[in-house]
Amino acid sequence: MGDERLDLPQGTLDLLILRTLTPGPLHGWAISERIQQVSRDVLQVPQGSLYPALHRLERRGWISPQWGVSDNNRKAKYYALTRRGEKQLASETRSWRKLIDAVGLVLDMD
Amino acid sequence: MFSDLRYRLRALFRRSTVEQELDDELRFHLERQKNKYIASGMPPIEAARRVRIDFGATDSIKEECRDARGIRVFDEITRNVRYAGRTLARRPGFTTVVVLTLGFGIGANGAVFSALNAVVLRSLPFPDAQQLVTIEQYQPGAAQASTFVAPARVEDWHRLAGTFQAITGYFLDDLTETSGELPERVSQAWVAPRFFEVCSVAPDFGRIFTRDEERFGGPAVAIVSERFWKRRFGDTRTLRQRSVRIANRPVPIVGVMPSSFTFPDTDVDIWRPSPPDGPYAANRAATWFKTIGRLRPRVTADQAASDLNRVQAALGRQYPATDAKLAVRVTALKIATLGGISKSLWMLFASVSVLLLIACTNIASLLLARNAERRHEISIRFSLGASRAAVVRQLLTEALVLASFGSALGIGIAVAAFQVFRSLGAGLPRMMEIRLDWALVLYSLSCAVGASIAFGLFPAMRTAQAVARDANSHRRTETIATNRLQWTLVGIQVALSVTLLFGAGLLIRSFDRLARVPLGFDAARVLTFRISGNWGETIDMVALTRRMLATLDALRTTPGIAAAATTAAVPGVSFHYDTELQIIEAPADDTARITARDRFVSSGYFDALQIPVVAGSQCQDDATAPAAVVVNRAFERLYLKGRTAVGSHVQEIASRPMAPSATIIGVVGDAREEGLSEPVAPTIYWCNSAPNPTPVFLVRARADNAAGLADAIRRRVHEIEPGRAVYDLASLEQRLDDTLAENRLRTVLLTSFALTAISLAAIGLYGTLSYIVSMRRREIGLRIAMGALRRTTVLGFLKQGIGVTVAGCAAGVWLSVAMGRGLADMLYGVTALDRSTLAAVLTLVIAIGALASVWPAIRAARVDPIQVLREE
Repeated sequence: MGDERLDLPQGTLDLLILRTLTPGPLHGWAISERIQQVSRDVLQVPQGSLYPALHRLERRGWISPQWGVSDNNRKAKYYALTRRGEKQLASETRSWRKLIDAVGLVLDMD
Repeated sequence: MFSDLRYRLRALFRRSTVEQELDDELRFHLERQKNKYIASGMPPIEAARRVRIDFGATDSIKEECRDARGIRVFDEITRNVRYAGRTLARRPGFTTVVVLTLGFGIGANGAVFSALNAVVLRSLPFPDAQQLVTIEQYQPGAAQASTFVAPARVEDWHRLAGTFQAITGYFLDDLTETSGELPERVSQAWVAPRFFEVCSVAPDFGRIFTRDEERFGGPAVAIVSERFWKRRFGDTRTLRQRSVRIANRPVPIVGVMPSSFTFPDTDVDIWRPSPPDGPYAANRAATWFKTIGRLRPRVTADQAASDLNRVQAALGRQYPATDAKLAVRVTALKIATLGGISKSLWMLFASVSVLLLIACTNIASLLLARNAERRHEISIRFSLGASRAAVVRQLLTEALVLASFGSALGIGIAVAAFQVFRSLGAGLPRMMEIRLDWALVLYSLSCAVGASIAFGLFPAMRTAQAVARDANSHRRTETIATNRLQWTLVGIQVALSVTLLFGAGLLIRSFDRLARVPLGFDAARVLTFRISGNWGETIDMVALTRRMLATLDALRTTPGIAAAATTAAVPGVSFHYDTELQIIEAPADDTARITARDRFVSSGYFDALQIPVVAGSQCQDDATAPAAVVVNRAFERLYLKGRTAVGSHVQEIASRPMAPSATIIGVVGDAREEGLSEPVAPTIYWCNSAPNPTPVFLVRARADNAAGLADAIRRRVHEIEPGRAVYDLASLEQRLDDTLAENRLRTVLLTSFALTAISLAAIGLYGTLSYIVSMRRREIGLRIAMGALRRTTVLGFLKQGIGVTVAGCAAGVWLSVAMGRGLADMLYGVTALDRSTLAAVLTLVIAIGALASVWPAIRAARVDPIQVLREE
């Protein structure tokens, strides 16, 4: 399974975290699991950069933390998308799509 | 970015919580991951290993998270502060000296700043106070100094001057208020219409006067001070049926002014309208009102003055007899209130800033020496990879830590110094407004930050640079360069100290001259006081005069009293009331203008003050006597020129064309009636024991305990007139002393600044020389071992110390010239470049410099070569 995995391109981790939080608050581990799961194991969140990224997003006010109880009855830090986080996600998604399309155009040229 | 700030603040101040949370969060993650592996069939130990491999080092992740929090700068600061604290604690002596030096520097500076701020910078306690001005009338060219304005003219000005929102006036009066258990003397202000509108201060409760009440024949009403209201009625705030009782008639109170309103004087308790349209107010030659006005926005005092002078010129055409010669002067109320004190305070502020500069220089050289000792430590930090910026930051942090302790101490010292200001400056305007406020705290803190950058940054950069360049090769040249720098700093301190000492010396000499001025009268054993009365009594001048004479008689028969008299103004305290006269017997061609200081005295005045009567006689009791005057010798010398004074007649020509002539009945010795610093002027004493309802009483005691007479005087006055109160009682010496308050304030303060300055300079010199000696111990030891004379060694160092002192003195002389120029108009009896003062200062400074150098020099000679060599 290792062969199919890809490293995350620079700067996409923030986007993925924000998108993952759209349905509702999650804790750090669940975020990384969800990304891996949804991408059918192609995307692997580098464990070392997940938490610094979360703290950075928190500082920017895009996600807000709250302490809750996890499904196995443990205290866990959940992150929820904020209003400003939603806006940021929308704009980042737009520019990501644009980038993909543009890259696609270049690659598909004759 | 609010969330960003909140996040960082939380990270900063709730550090342990935040760290704990991070810990929990990561642990939770690891556990879930491990459980996941175990669930997929991995043995627990293998699972734990996998997790750790996946995750990497927790510590570096934590570090990255901390980075993401954006508080590393703060971390470094905290670390630096802690380190600085430890380093400073290790050298308690050094730290104490620096903190004390800085504390006194900032404290003295802060105290003077507070005074300057309270007295000069802060505006007067009125809304838009910059619009308030005093308005005075005067006669150009004539010496007539009454600047008070007739009610009718105040109304004309108000009506005609377009640059003013409103013009009004007031005068003070004493009255006996009888609504309480005992009659009470109350100070009252009679106010022209619009008084409270001009001040723009509303009553605490109640209202100001209506236009109706300000008109003649309107209802009698009063506004009282909060203090008076509390005294009479306590905390109630209902005005209904409350009144004051004046001349046995109740006057309803319509308003109560807040305690912050102390205009025109702090002791005014009652304000009453003085209608300008009464028959008695019609005389345009009357001089009643002190006049104030509120300018329209954006009008300057100069514009207002030219406007009012235009108005006055028109009035002069309309009323040539009374208004033609008058001109108008407009002064900002603040300037009029402050007088000369603002210049004194600025001078003190400049001096105390020089002192702070000396303190900073001193500390800079101490730090420089100290950093040089720490070279080893610093070079280790470099070799461990610290950047130069990091080292500078570290050294600067030390300076900042010192500065914050210094400024905390400084604020304490400043607050203590307020007390000194209040006692030295008692009687000066606004001194009671000096207090601890945010301005002082902010000012001290910015002083501390400024100072620590001044004294910290420079040595820090220099040291870091030196050590970095060092690489052990240029060590010796570097030491010499540092020494040169330190000597320069010491020289600067000496120069600035010389400047301050010279200024202080000038002020001391001038104060001394002033205190030794022969007064021409004897103030010892003389008590002064007033007895309550009111202007209503002036309707019957004869009765008023009889009252004064009866009181004087009663006093003269009181045991212990040698002489008693009344006068319009306290002798020796500036009064400035000039008059223009003609001498009736003078030949018609003598057109020289005769102006003289006007004074009004009763019989016994010259006895009470022991002013010698040179010719003729002194004033007699005068209830119905013909007008008589006494002149002083200056008058006789200047205006009578050989004619016999006694028996000549004089007549006032100023604003009273109908004034009767008066006979000169005597000539007395010259006395400094106008104050210690005022030369004797030709003076005319009108024999008049009742120039106003509350003249100053002068009583000469037989024995030395003049103060002990106070009780006897009160009792005697109570016996003959139970309804009147004795007040404002003080010895004449005390009053003369009060006139010197401003002078004393600046002399004492500048002297203490100068002494502090020279002490700091001496410490700087001593410290620097000691440091150099200790640095060169090895070299000295070697020289002595090789046969150098100890005497030569001592002389060498001594020469160095004294040389720097002399160089500093040379620069100081140059600065002193500027200092003297700045002080020029505060001096009395000394020139601004007084050579003997300068010589004394230089001698003192060089002597101190020599003393400060002797001990380190001797210590150098005592270096034991064997011990030094063994230390190697």
